[in-house]
Amino acid sequence: MSASATTPPAQAGGAVSDTRGPDRRLGRYLVVPGILATIGLLVIYPVFFLITESFNLGDSGVFPPEEMGLDNYRNMIEDVQVLWNTAFVAGIATVMAILFGLLLAWILTRTAIPGRARLERLMELPYYMTPLVGALAWGVLAAPKTGLINQLARVFGATGDVVNIYSPWGIAWVMALFEGTVAFVMISASMKSMDPSMEESARVLGAGKLRVALTVTLPMILPGILSASIFVFAEMLSAFAAAFVLGIPSRFVVVTTAIWQSTSAYPPEYGRAAAMGLCLFVVLAVAIGSARFVLRKGSYATITGKAFRPRPLRLGARAWPMVLTCWAYLAFAVFLPMGALLLTSFQKFATVIVGDMRFTFDNYVSVFHQGAIASALKNSLILGLIVASIGSLLVGVLVWVIFRSRAPGRGLVEYVVMFPQAVPRLVFGLGLLWAWLIIPIPIYGTMWLLGIAYLTVLLPLGVRTLAGVVLQIDKSLEECARVCGASWSHQMRTVTLPLMRPGIVAAWLLIFISSVRELGASLFLMGPHSKVIGPAIVDAWLTASSELSAAMALVQTGVVFIAVIFLLRITRRYSGEPA
Amino acid sequence: MSESDARIEIKSLVVDYGEVRAVDDVSLSVGRGELVTLLGPSGCGKTTTLRSVAGLEDPTGGSIKLNGTTVYSAAERRNTPAEKRGVSMVFQSYAIWPHMTVFDNVAYGLKVRKMPAAEIKSNVMRVLDLVQMTEYADRPSSRLSGGQQQRVAVARAIAFSPDVLLFDEPLSNLDAKLRVSMRVELRELQKDLGITALYVTHDQEEALAISDRVIVMNAGKIEQIGTPEEIYRHPRTLFVADFVGNANVIRGKASGVPASGEVDFTTEGGITLRAVVGHAGAKGDAVALQAAYVDIFPAGRTDVPNAVKGSIHRRMFHGDFIQYVVDWPCGQLLVRRPPTDLFEEGSTVTVSFSAEHCVLL
Repeated sequence: MSASATTPPAQAGGAVSDTRGPDRRLGRYLVVPGILATIGLLVIYPVFFLITESFNLGDSGVFPPEEMGLDNYRNMIEDVQVLWNTAFVAGIATVMAILFGLLLAWILTRTAIPGRARLERLMELPYYMTPLVGALAWGVLAAPKTGLINQLARVFGATGDVVNIYSPWGIAWVMALFEGTVAFVMISASMKSMDPSMEESARVLGAGKLRVALTVTLPMILPGILSASIFVFAEMLSAFAAAFVLGIPSRFVVVTTAIWQSTSAYPPEYGRAAAMGLCLFVVLAVAIGSARFVLRKGSYATITGKAFRPRPLRLGARAWPMVLTCWAYLAFAVFLPMGALLLTSFQKFATVIVGDMRFTFDNYVSVFHQGAIASALKNSLILGLIVASIGSLLVGVLVWVIFRSRAPGRGLVEYVVMFPQAVPRLVFGLGLLWAWLIIPIPIYGTMWLLGIAYLTVLLPLGVRTLAGVVLQIDKSLEECARVCGASWSHQMRTVTLPLMRPGIVAAWLLIFISSVRELGASLFLMGPHSKVIGPAIVDAWLTASSELSAAMALVQTGVVFIAVIFLLRITRRYSGEPA
Repeated sequence: MSESDARIEIKSLVVDYGEVRAVDDVSLSVGRGELVTLLGPSGCGKTTTLRSVAGLEDPTGGSIKLNGTTVYSAAERRNTPAEKRGVSMVFQSYAIWPHMTVFDNVAYGLKVRKMPAAEIKSNVMRVLDLVQMTEYADRPSSRLSGGQQQRVAVARAIAFSPDVLLFDEPLSNLDAKLRVSMRVELRELQKDLGITALYVTHDQEEALAISDRVIVMNAGKIEQIGTPEEIYRHPRTLFVADFVGNANVIRGKASGVPASGEVDFTTEGGITLRAVVGHAGAKGDAVALQAAYVDIFPAGRTDVPNAVKGSIHRRMFHGDFIQYVVDWPCGQLLVRRPPTDLFEEGSTVTVSFSAEHCVLL
């Protein structure tokens, strides 16, 4: 060894060329403006049209507008009932969702209950159920008269209906069930990031359990709860599916369904829709901004970013109510709705008395064979595959540029890429509608437009997923490869990309899942020859039957769940290994 | 050391991070087979200097030569990329690639150099043997302890026989016991293989133990360069005296500041000590006295140099030594004595130290 150690390899002596020469610098200065121009076009251009349209008082199909003014905004005052409805539903739904989330987070992070690990994993399930599926299912479960719950109650002697899901409270209930898991994830994150020694030291200093909870624990997790509340509230404001399925039959209209109504009215009131959409966007941007601010300002707990596992409370026999609570949540959010849909999907005529049910496979035959529905399913799958593949590739490049390169302007890239996150899907779809209607390239009504829209609105999701993985890759892992003599491309191939792979796969799956269940943006963008499954379910529900829409929803959910299983496998395999 | 013998030569290196000057006019050289340590507190620019040698920074000014070849020069606008410098580096985080086995980690630099497979295998096994990790060759590197990762990192760094080895705080993530034994092993390895090394640490004990020469840095500048003994015995600045060893700094005024030899030093406490002028250009307003160089006698001794009366304020038993805090006319004096030298707290004593250990700053 000593002989070879003293023989100097010719590397340092020979090569003195500077590969950071002008050509690479030039590349560095071109990449960022290129990305900014592309993403900017995809993101800013539709928003620009939205703004223009909201001031358009003339024929909404003509651009530039013949007559402009503030009337669309002024008219919103007449829609005060809609605004009040929206705030009411979102408000009570947020309170419910936060209560669910807080209770579940406390049980699953702070108490020792049997089967805790499995329950914690199952809590992800509601997140992958679409609100549309949930709303359809709860329609079956709790509709007045025919709802299964009401039928059951009558067997036990109830007169009239015990529950009515076609009401503001019903809408809020369904929304809360599905946002509850989001609140759970956010709140339990802030609970886990709290060092248990903070509570222990208060105990040692003589404070009782209640005092510790009020003076130490609560202040520490309050920012987490607060930011979760704001975030969930923002999601509720822009939610469409539940308000649509459960609100339209009882003529209960919120902002999102009002936007849909004004675009599908004759003649369409695009100006009104755009003005409402923009206001929603502004409210949402403020809400999300303040949620971030709250979390950053008050996050004593997350300073270290380290996850703690505080010693769980031993509850003994008192653990069973806790276990029951968790399973009850899962039952309401996942098992009951799925069961109800399954039952409905096999029926010839839905919503009949349980004793008179007639069963059939016809609905599934229709899903796979009836031209329009089968092609919607096929289109969704194809779009999912293509968007996920292109998207994950794009996400890989973007994340590398944003978090690993030293290119000037990379901060701006992050901002622009993440921007669609702040725009409600429905509103973004509306903007894209005009943006591409007016442009002379004939892609409106084709799969191309849907593909572009999906890519734009799903990029933030992909970037967030992969960034989490990339930020954990220590920079010295890459530097070490260079010092060992690897060129940039060799280092990318042998070190960076293999380490990024689990993140890229996860991003692929998440984008695929989100594409298949996309509804908000698709509503306005699909054409007669480019149907996709989400809006097709809505169509089937509006025009055909709830049995058929149940079968379609189940097939859609099945596809999503298969992808979720792969996702969970991959994340579990890699999360076991320290990076 | 002659110019041609220098493996690493840094001249007037300047590195700026935006407004902050991380490295400010640093010049140094490392000879063949020499281990030189950059020692200083965090943020003193030592790691930035090291990374500039590796080619992982974009310096602002100066030049760096490796083996006589310029790899960085502000004047020539040259900055050879890291992979073309033929240096190797052990990172503070070890930077062991978790998706590769131990063997693949160590073989990386050899594979990059397109060495034949058989040769790669024999080389990898040889260096793994040097760090006693042979039986772990096929293990996934994500399942190694900290100490094992450290060994793999060293094996990987020496596998392709680099001209120069750079160490960025390689031992700082190990626990105390392991750190001391790895220190010995690293030094053995470096001596046996004749490796030229630049080593960064903030641990003064480690720096003194492992180095041929130590460079003390502070706020981006070099404070002093010397052998470990010189640095310890004759600190030149207040900073070095404070950072290296456990020196007492006594303020006062020297009778004059000659280029060398001994002078009288009058302390602020009003006593006069004999002190040595360690280097030309001393300011003459303070002396440094390492705690280990002070003797303690029962009260009344006058036949010893710099004999001053004091009393034992506190005694702390450390095992290998006893640390005394002695009240004396200049405040409190730290003294370290072997565990056999026992004095009771409160007893009056005479402290003494020779003039050559009382260094004028």
